[in-house]
Amino acid sequence: MTLHSTETRPPEATAPPAPDATAEVAPAAAAAPTEPSMVRAGVRSFFRNRNNVIACAIMVPLVSIALLSPWLPLGNLTQSNLLASLAPPSLEHPFGTDKLGRDILARTFAGLRISILVGLAAATISLLGGMIIGTLAATLGKRVDAAVSSLVDVLMAFPAVLMAIVIVAVFGPGPVQLIIALGIASMPAAIRLQRSLALSIVSSTYMDAARMANASAWWNVRRHMLPNSVAPMMVVASIYAAEAILAEAALSFLGLGVVPPTPSLGNIIADGQNYLREAWWISTIPGLTIVLLSLSLHFFSDGVREQLDPALRATVMRARKERRWMRRSR
Amino acid sequence: MLRYAGRRITAMIPALLVIIVLVFALLRMIPGDPAVFIGGENIGPEALQALRERLGLAAPLPQQFLDYLASLARFDLGRSLHTQLPVTSIIGNAITLTATIAITSTVLGLLISVPLGVVAAYSKSKGRNRGDGALMAVVMVLDNVPSFWLSLLLMLGLSYGLGLFPISGAVSWSDPGAMAARLALPVIVLAIGQVAALTRVTRSAVVETLGRDYVRTARAMGTPEPTILFRHALPNAALPIITMTGLSFGRLLAGTVIVEAIFSIPGIGTQLIQAITGRDYPVVQGLILVYALIFLTINVVTDVVYTRVDPRVRLA
Repeated sequence: MTLHSTETRPPEATAPPAPDATAEVAPAAAAAPTEPSMVRAGVRSFFRNRNNVIACAIMVPLVSIALLSPWLPLGNLTQSNLLASLAPPSLEHPFGTDKLGRDILARTFAGLRISILVGLAAATISLLGGMIIGTLAATLGKRVDAAVSSLVDVLMAFPAVLMAIVIVAVFGPGPVQLIIALGIASMPAAIRLQRSLALSIVSSTYMDAARMANASAWWNVRRHMLPNSVAPMMVVASIYAAEAILAEAALSFLGLGVVPPTPSLGNIIADGQNYLREAWWISTIPGLTIVLLSLSLHFFSDGVREQLDPALRATVMRARKERRWMRRSR
Repeated sequence: MLRYAGRRITAMIPALLVIIVLVFALLRMIPGDPAVFIGGENIGPEALQALRERLGLAAPLPQQFLDYLASLARFDLGRSLHTQLPVTSIIGNAITLTATIAITSTVLGLLISVPLGVVAAYSKSKGRNRGDGALMAVVMVLDNVPSFWLSLLLMLGLSYGLGLFPISGAVSWSDPGAMAARLALPVIVLAIGQVAALTRVTRSAVVETLGRDYVRTARAMGTPEPTILFRHALPNAALPIITMTGLSFGRLLAGTVIVEAIFSIPGIGTQLIQAITGRDYPVVQGLILVYALIFLTINVVTDVVYTRVDPRVRLA
């Protein structure tokens, strides 16, 4: 996993378990908008963060294009038109065409849809798997913990892309296999993080209080551990989504992921490699799309992390206040 | 020191066992009959039986595992299904190339990112947040550029545009100059892939050491700034940089798989992709085992180097 944002620090350190009061209120507010002010405050503080705004500014157009692409008047994705073979960018084909005369813009949009789908699905799998197994490791006693931890340690030695390649080698190429492969590939990291979060929550004072009130293990997991670890896990999950999108593109580029004629950002770029000299536009636009998508997910992750970490939030706010004050005094 | 390294190496053994079991399971996890999957649907019954024998799938499962362990103990990884060459010799030929690329690009990555990180940290410590911010923004964008796309862009610009580096042709050591030109682009791509993580970690480590008391004392004594940076701040920031180099070396090795495929360099990455697409499972198994061994070794080496650099790390 890479380290992001301005300060390098392990994700464990960024996520002090929130005081229990907020954990009790937040899910309620999210589930039933009985307290609109709460939701509005949440939304407002979300958009007050610059990283979140940048993330949304990139992600919202990309996601809506991806969702709407089947209904956009972009023409047929797979039908070839040899008269327009390798046409450079023009009004009719804003990003040019490929060897078979297919519109690159249309294929990029369709590929974007698959990328987003694969990224989100894979991140969801690693998030859920990590939260379940990590919580179990932290709560089921030393033996389970030791077994899970040592397995995770071994698997962590493998980079996610390589592990996905191995899984695809066993189950063959295809979008579903890819989602499972990438989901499993970043699961060890998720398990390790959730385990350490859960362990820090177990030793917290409010868990002592819960235990003294004779709360059942299931209650503790449901009311304390899971709600208090969702937010920090979201920070890493958006990174996993970005990594899954990059890995999907890389695998599809190598012919081990989404296989043509289904367009994917990776296999469009691979197709462009064959015509790099004659038609630079085939590979350029899909690559740029991947960069933007992945950047927006990193911004989102940084934004959520800054909001979660009170110390970081305080420094951001202080810096902003100082800047405002200096502007005024000038 | 030596005893510590020895202890770390013995601690690798359980991990190695887990990996051997996983690699053994790899072939057996293929849904349906692995022999049919590898040989194709139209394979005759006798050929199928022969393939099963060759893959070691004919005996009962415990016997298969013992056979596998025995052949591992003899450093026998089987033979390729296509070329009939021993897997060990395939890997042996390819690995020097991959190792050369990986090590060169790590060195190049460090040469780029340590100065960048130091500059960013220095401008931050001097309150020049704009320079620091601009550098880190560039680094963030670099972090999100897929290596295969960067390869194509560099090919387009440097090879086709300026005619600088050849992107095809033989890869052999007989002509070192041509070899260097041939390997330059992949090394550059992989080095750039390292820059993001290494620059960030250098920057934050140096920012921290620049805030220490001994730096303040050095400043108060009138020590020149370069001496403070490179004599006091940077050496004390070395530890996280070393850890990150070890960590990102793993990522780099995964990157070699992709980059070798693009520049058609016959390293172990290309062998892996070819073996997977050709369903040459003895080669796949052997390569995965070798990759796992490399990753485990890197972890141990990182930890041991750690203790060399920082005497405060107790050899517990």
